[in-house]
Amino acid sequence: MKDHSNRRTRLRWARLLAIVLAFGLIAAACGSDDDGDAEEAPAATEAMADESMDDSMADESMDDSMDDESMDDSMDDDMSDDMMDLSGTKVTVFGPESSDEEAGALRDALDHFAAQTGIEVSYTGARDAADQINAQAAGGNPPDIFIFPQPGKLADFARDGHLIALPDDVIAAMNEHWTPAWTAFGDVDGTQYGIPNKSDLKSLVWYKPALFESKGYSVPGTWDELKALSAEMIANGDTPFCIGIESGPATGWTFTDWVEDLMLRFHTPAEYDAWVAGELAFSSAEVSGVFTEVLDLWNTPGMVFAAGGSIAATPFGDNGQPLVDNDCMMHRQASFYAAFIPEGTAFADGSADAVDTFYFPSVKGDQPVLGAGTLVGAFRDAPEVWEVMKYFASSEYAEVRQQAQTERKGGGLSGFLSAATNQDPSVYQPLEQSFLDILQNADVVRFDGSDLMPAEVGAGTFWTEGTAVVNGDKSVAEATQAIDDSWPQ
Amino acid sequence: MAALWGAFLGIVISVGASAAVFWGTHRLFGLVERRWAVVAAVAGVLVGAGAGAVAAGLRRCVAVEGSRNDECTPLLDGPSFGWINPTLMWIVIGAAVFGLAGAAVGVKRSPGGDRIATLQGRLRALTFVGPAMLFVALGLIVPLLRTIYLSLFDKAGESFRGLANYGEIFTNAQSVDLSGWAGIFGSRLFWGSLILFAIATLIAMSRGRSRGVRADVSASTVGIGLGGGLLLSFAVFANLRGTVMNNLWWVVAVTFLSTALGLLAAVIADRTKRESFAKSLIFLPMAISFVGAGIIWRFMYIARPPQKSQTGLLNAIWVWLGTLRPSSGGAWTAVAVLAAVTVLLTALCAFGVRRRQSAIAVGSAIAAIPLLWLIYRFLGPGVGGSALGPNDEPIAGTILFVQESPFNNVWLMVVLIWIQTGFAMVILSAAIKAVPADLIEAARVDGADERQVFFGVTLPTIVPTITVVMTAMIVLVMKVFDIVRVMTNGNFGTQVIANEMWQRSFTEFNLGLGSALAVVLFLGVVPVMGLNIRRMQRGE
Repeated sequence: MKDHSNRRTRLRWARLLAIVLAFGLIAAACGSDDDGDAEEAPAATEAMADESMDDSMADESMDDSMDDESMDDSMDDDMSDDMMDLSGTKVTVFGPESSDEEAGALRDALDHFAAQTGIEVSYTGARDAADQINAQAAGGNPPDIFIFPQPGKLADFARDGHLIALPDDVIAAMNEHWTPAWTAFGDVDGTQYGIPNKSDLKSLVWYKPALFESKGYSVPGTWDELKALSAEMIANGDTPFCIGIESGPATGWTFTDWVEDLMLRFHTPAEYDAWVAGELAFSSAEVSGVFTEVLDLWNTPGMVFAAGGSIAATPFGDNGQPLVDNDCMMHRQASFYAAFIPEGTAFADGSADAVDTFYFPSVKGDQPVLGAGTLVGAFRDAPEVWEVMKYFASSEYAEVRQQAQTERKGGGLSGFLSAATNQDPSVYQPLEQSFLDILQNADVVRFDGSDLMPAEVGAGTFWTEGTAVVNGDKSVAEATQAIDDSWPQ
Repeated sequence: MAALWGAFLGIVISVGASAAVFWGTHRLFGLVERRWAVVAAVAGVLVGAGAGAVAAGLRRCVAVEGSRNDECTPLLDGPSFGWINPTLMWIVIGAAVFGLAGAAVGVKRSPGGDRIATLQGRLRALTFVGPAMLFVALGLIVPLLRTIYLSLFDKAGESFRGLANYGEIFTNAQSVDLSGWAGIFGSRLFWGSLILFAIATLIAMSRGRSRGVRADVSASTVGIGLGGGLLLSFAVFANLRGTVMNNLWWVVAVTFLSTALGLLAAVIADRTKRESFAKSLIFLPMAISFVGAGIIWRFMYIARPPQKSQTGLLNAIWVWLGTLRPSSGGAWTAVAVLAAVTVLLTALCAFGVRRRQSAIAVGSAIAAIPLLWLIYRFLGPGVGGSALGPNDEPIAGTILFVQESPFNNVWLMVVLIWIQTGFAMVILSAAIKAVPADLIEAARVDGADERQVFFGVTLPTIVPTITVVMTAMIVLVMKVFDIVRVMTNGNFGTQVIANEMWQRSFTEFNLGLGSALAVVLFLGVVPVMGLNIRRMQRGE
């Protein structure tokens, strides 16, 4: 080797050095992420250790939390004292709310909390969060807190052991602001896992009072009156309803809302519960009868204005504009629909173009209410996580969020609603206040049934088969049978 | 500051480690030449340390009642004092034992010079290929094996179900629904395909008679036959429904049409003056993601209520055509234009018959049929989506491209064909240009005309490329997901396997069924991939 010329050897070494440096730098660049992780790693392992300790020594930790509770009680009023040791800690929140208004207002509310406590809370929103959380939990990296769009999903995660039951002090904080009718949705087999985060009132019909008055229509009080009113509208050349059920991967949920609302009206709450629990089959006379009732109404010639050409092709959010433009007279949709009504529309202020709501008429004269909403559940057992959970349970969160969301919407209705008690009513517009009255005072409240059913049905076949019957691809008998077949055994 | 230090340390350590690896391998190559025993000992130490680490990491886990975390104890334990822990101990033991064994083997069996050279070559190869192989194994083979494993289990991946998931995929009416088979014989597509087959046979026989054989297969018969085959496949898939059938439909239609259109575009572009411009235009959609293309085409297909103006291009045209009422000025203009084109086609047909060019004759005759039909519609019942209301006002009749099963599948396929034609064109165009000029000149000298040169020389030469394009396309189309998810999400009878897999796996979190669907997709793709790789290797 040494017999070769020096120059060549030097060149070889220079080349080797260059390669080494290049690889080294690449490795360093790739490694820099790891450095960041390495800092967080101890915290994560700590949390895991805490978790496993809690699991193995459940009894003792129960005692601990009892102690905590008595301590917390004394400090509840002065949160900042309690927080001193938690400032600088981080909590991640993940959820389905992703629009600028909703996610932005949620972040504003969390920033408000962060400013008070020093706990850094970051929120990530994704439209398909409900799908993503499955993979995140299975992969072992769930967020600290997830906003569940469906109680059924929360129950699945609780039974799988992914979620952590609420400690007693958090339950106590929640009970201060929420009535049992709402906290029950976060209760899984007798253990509380979820805290209500947002409430929606679904049994509403949006309409324009001034237009009704000028055309001589009156707000229907019963289902038969509604049908008679629709017939009158068609005879006058007006289109009664705007309906669209397209919603990306969730296409069909608007149809399921109609079915649920009418199930509550044609049948008893007990039958509704049996249906949601899988004891009353979809193919039974009761449920398929309601399917037929909805479809008969929708398929009446002249009944529906579908902005996308057909009901199944019209995005649910595209019904606000035609309602404002008088292309249709009514639109049955939840309270959050305010967010989809074009900006600048007046709400229930008596002006000529103002939009208002009336209660979706009942069949038997009772006043059942179909509600919905989101729930928060925790995946990590840490004091800072529970502080954030307590904040979610508070009326303060609802107020801050409502104010921020109204601001972001530029006045008008925010689309946000919380059935938490003790809220300052002044943060809500009069129309929103009327929703709250209905929600807080209803004697029969039932949660959106598809959100309570197992995901295979509630976020699966109920939507897809519903879409198929609406589109005319299947008969009611075929579709309801297919839904029954898909119910997990 | 800490971050800066971390970055600095990271760079120093990485550079150091890389230098050590390079120095180490360099030394190792030198050692192979000189001292075999040392090499064997070093290899033994490395293997032993690895084995020791794995052994120390082995855990026996027992499920604990009421907790989702299993209780685990190490299988091999050992003393632990100071900084010495059992793991380190087992690594050292492993390294020592294997290192000694390696040294012993090396001393006993020192290979000769030739053998050392081979060994050194292999060692070098392993050094460089090894890490890549490791990553492939971790990122591809392990997940594959785990997916296959999971596909044999239930929803939660816990209890064994055997092949029940696969059974469910192929017996479920949502996946394979053959109940509409009788409809095949009632469809116009079926009879159209039969007519095309008959024409192809007749041409082949008449050509055969003039050459003294029973049937002479020519380019025109093959072309018409393929067209008939495509129509027949449409007739079959429009009546045999289900997820699996939809996937097959996609594979057949998109692969065939993209390749055929790409070939056509390549051939035509080859003769135009502004070839690069024309090709860029056709290639442009390739730059658009499937999701983007799906959204774009949703706007193309959109239908609006009859009383509103149409914003979707296709429905706008359709409704506009409908406003051309029979015997109105617009309709007469349309009829005049159509008639002129038909006359041209008839002349072309006559020309083809005179020159005995069956492709031109039959092609122009077939092209004239829809024009004649359009003329009839314009004169008689009218064209397009518009009817007269009670007060003689036009009422738009839109087409729900995306909702009306089963042909909404075809409208979704159009999106992928739109994208993939450019891909096929670019590759086939390159192949056409690579056909040796002397071959073509020789054919011309022999008196072949353009058509004969193309079908006799160019096409046979580029057949391998066409196969590559088609296999690549089949693999891509088999996995189609984005377009369906964006445009219908599998509603309205457009479900495909990949989207079904997503919904089962991630919406319902049915790991077993989702994995089984993934494996079905994988098994469908593997033979095509294998074919492609075999061909590539043979080409080398």
